[in-house]
Amino acid sequence: MNAFTPPDELAVKPAGLSMSEDVARMKGTLLKNIRRSAYVYRVDCGGCNGCEIEIFAAITPIFDAERFGIKVVASPRHADILLFTGAVTRSMRMPALRAYEAAPDPKIVVSYGACGCSGGIFHDLYCVWGGTDQIVPVDVYIPGCPPTPAATIYGFAMALGLLDQRLKEETHHEAAGEKVALAHPDIPYGLRVQLEREARAMAGYRQGRDIVEEFLTLIETRDPAPVTARIGDLVTREGDPRRAEIFQRLQTVFTAAITGDAS
Amino acid sequence: MTATSETRIGQDILAALRAKMPHAVTEERWQTNDQVTITVKLNSLPDVVRTLYYEHDGWLSTMVGNDERSINGTYALYYVLSMEGAAKCHVVVHTEISPDSLEFPSVTPSVPAAVWYEREVRDMFGLRPVGLPDERRLVLPDDWPDDLYPLRKDSMDYRFRPEPTEDNENYRFVNDAKQETTVVPLGPLHITSDEPGHFRLFVDGETIIDADYRMFYVHRGMEKLAETRMGYNEVTFLADRVCGICGYAHSVAYASSVENALGIEVPARAQAIRAILLETERLHSHLLNLGLVCHFTGFDSGFMQFFRVREKAMTLAEMLTGSRKTYAINLIGGVRRDILGEQKAATLALIAELRAEVTRLLDILMSTPNFAGRVANVGRLDPQIARDYSPVGPVVRGSGHRRDTRADHPFAGYKLVGLPVNTQAGCDILSRTQVRIAEFYDSIDLIERLLDAAPGGPILTEGFTYRPHRFALGYTEAPRGEDMHWSMTGDNQKLYRWRCRASTYNNWPVLRYMLRGNTVSDAPLIVGSIDPCYSCTDRVTIVDVNKARARTIAYKEMERYCRDRTNSPLK
Repeated sequence: MNAFTPPDELAVKPAGLSMSEDVARMKGTLLKNIRRSAYVYRVDCGGCNGCEIEIFAAITPIFDAERFGIKVVASPRHADILLFTGAVTRSMRMPALRAYEAAPDPKIVVSYGACGCSGGIFHDLYCVWGGTDQIVPVDVYIPGCPPTPAATIYGFAMALGLLDQRLKEETHHEAAGEKVALAHPDIPYGLRVQLEREARAMAGYRQGRDIVEEFLTLIETRDPAPVTARIGDLVTREGDPRRAEIFQRLQTVFTAAITGDAS
Repeated sequence: MTATSETRIGQDILAALRAKMPHAVTEERWQTNDQVTITVKLNSLPDVVRTLYYEHDGWLSTMVGNDERSINGTYALYYVLSMEGAAKCHVVVHTEISPDSLEFPSVTPSVPAAVWYEREVRDMFGLRPVGLPDERRLVLPDDWPDDLYPLRKDSMDYRFRPEPTEDNENYRFVNDAKQETTVVPLGPLHITSDEPGHFRLFVDGETIIDADYRMFYVHRGMEKLAETRMGYNEVTFLADRVCGICGYAHSVAYASSVENALGIEVPARAQAIRAILLETERLHSHLLNLGLVCHFTGFDSGFMQFFRVREKAMTLAEMLTGSRKTYAINLIGGVRRDILGEQKAATLALIAELRAEVTRLLDILMSTPNFAGRVANVGRLDPQIARDYSPVGPVVRGSGHRRDTRADHPFAGYKLVGLPVNTQAGCDILSRTQVRIAEFYDSIDLIERLLDAAPGGPILTEGFTYRPHRFALGYTEAPRGEDMHWSMTGDNQKLYRWRCRASTYNNWPVLRYMLRGNTVSDAPLIVGSIDPCYSCTDRVTIVDVNKARARTIAYKEMERYCRDRTNSPLK
């Protein structure tokens, strides 16, 4: 039972669908010449609803994908774009294939969300077949868990070839000898770890990091005033009582470290 | 864990049970002050569950099957009862099943609420409930081989994907109607909302005589995944993905089940943050349902307005958690983000805007005469049927039962603040909607009060050790009702068993009774009123058995009929 078996030997693979050359050519023409609204049909192959709700959010007033002519329709027979969400479960394979067959050629297939793109967290489970591309050919992947409405609209624009003119493109090329600077080299490593742990326990990984960074920068700064006085000043000046409490805890850790008091 | 006999809640119930059935209970183990697991003899199982259910105000919360052959050589069943009488506690009835017989007496004939659980345990473990009236498959797909039981420890690797046994769905739908009826299948794909599910309505003219449904199109095998590929903390993130709307409630329920099992003290500030985020989730979920109710009653501008306002709740979630879905916040022992003064101020501002905007929309909605006409006295859930099937959340509260996990069994930050339980006696869609509206306002108040009541201190406990084969319950009140998780730790830094029961699971079995006697045009509205993470279907096939003729019409037509109620597609 616990011996390693390569996953390929465990799993039967469903037969994929292929596209005829004619259809591929028609699809190319459609993408080049589309000058009208695109109709989208959603196929939920076994998602958790997260994606569906974000698609809802994308078509309702705040994000409003319909202003780009992207409209969700009720039947695959009206659709230009099929939007597959969720890891394909065993029960949904046939309904999903029927929806695919029902949409007229040429159709664009968009795989939506982490589960649609790859099967996501469920990729190798016994009751799923994996991502959308395990059963139908996919043109565009919209990743995210779930993709935000903005990402959704971006993905549609990608599917329709609206993104040919990019506003800004930036790529970083590493220069010879380029190095990442070490953070806080003047503060003893052990003390830094202690402070970071305390901040994380108090304020979590996100705000905790900001707060400890502020604190470390303060004790690192060269200044005529003694560091203990400056820390005391930081605590008293802080307007938010919760942040003041956290700074106080860091102060305690710091004081214990420099006076050698283990408590 | 250190419960002493004075502080334990529920001892009177056990004493009464022992007095009535002196030889049934063989062992009693306390997980926390208000959680006890009693081991009973296999043959007295139905009697014990029935006594607790009907004589001591018990409600069936979940049932857990477990393959404990590697621990003690037996299969185990745990029937979890939420006791909501004078002493509010959880009593778990445990019984052992020999691997030679694999049979146990079905509880369903005495307590109907057990029906789905017993069908599921049959699918997943191959344990046979003797006397179970409904022996169809529940969870596993139609193309799954017989005699392969995924949750048995030695049956298969979690990645094993057997060849489909067939390409056609072959589920048998049950029709209790006496007269001849027309069959209306709905699904499994649909436009409006979410998960796939297949409905079959049996109609006589316009009236629904009976209904049956095939769910679990999205069964993926998360419980198996949790005990094979993941460690304890990873499962909190998996639990987030049980549901895309109320995932955080699952994450909290799972984390607290492990914390209860190991006796881990979660810092009070972390508890308060959990409660604040649970209420944030309730805000966006209830606004979603209010929007959908508008949609189904043909009030589409209301639908768009509710979704516009709902974005404020999403902004709130994103600000507090970094993701629009309140994902990835829990760890065993605490939470991963704090709420600083800056976020507190922004939260208060956002919920004040939400309160004002939603109040305006609700005034419009409630003064729309067409709305009341569509939802009053439609989709009635009889209080006695509710009592028999243990539904949860606004569904049961709309039928006059005072059940709310937040008040009955306070968890997380709800211990810091009291809260009212909103009920309505109308038993119809209007009542359920009114319960949700009242809860929306309560959520806003709760967030305000929790922000003030949250104490200082750390937000995460670390440095505990995991001990093997401990188990306990964890529970939350999700927007749709109680979520119940049961976890048993393993000896390899993984869960031995994780049982997750979502709120809608308890609400599906009563839907059949809610649909009976209503018209076809109200069906999507009734299904929507249990807020099932699901609303409609993409196509409607109408089979007229009298004329032996089948007709398929587009779903859009069905939904249009629900909204307009003219030009029936059945004619």
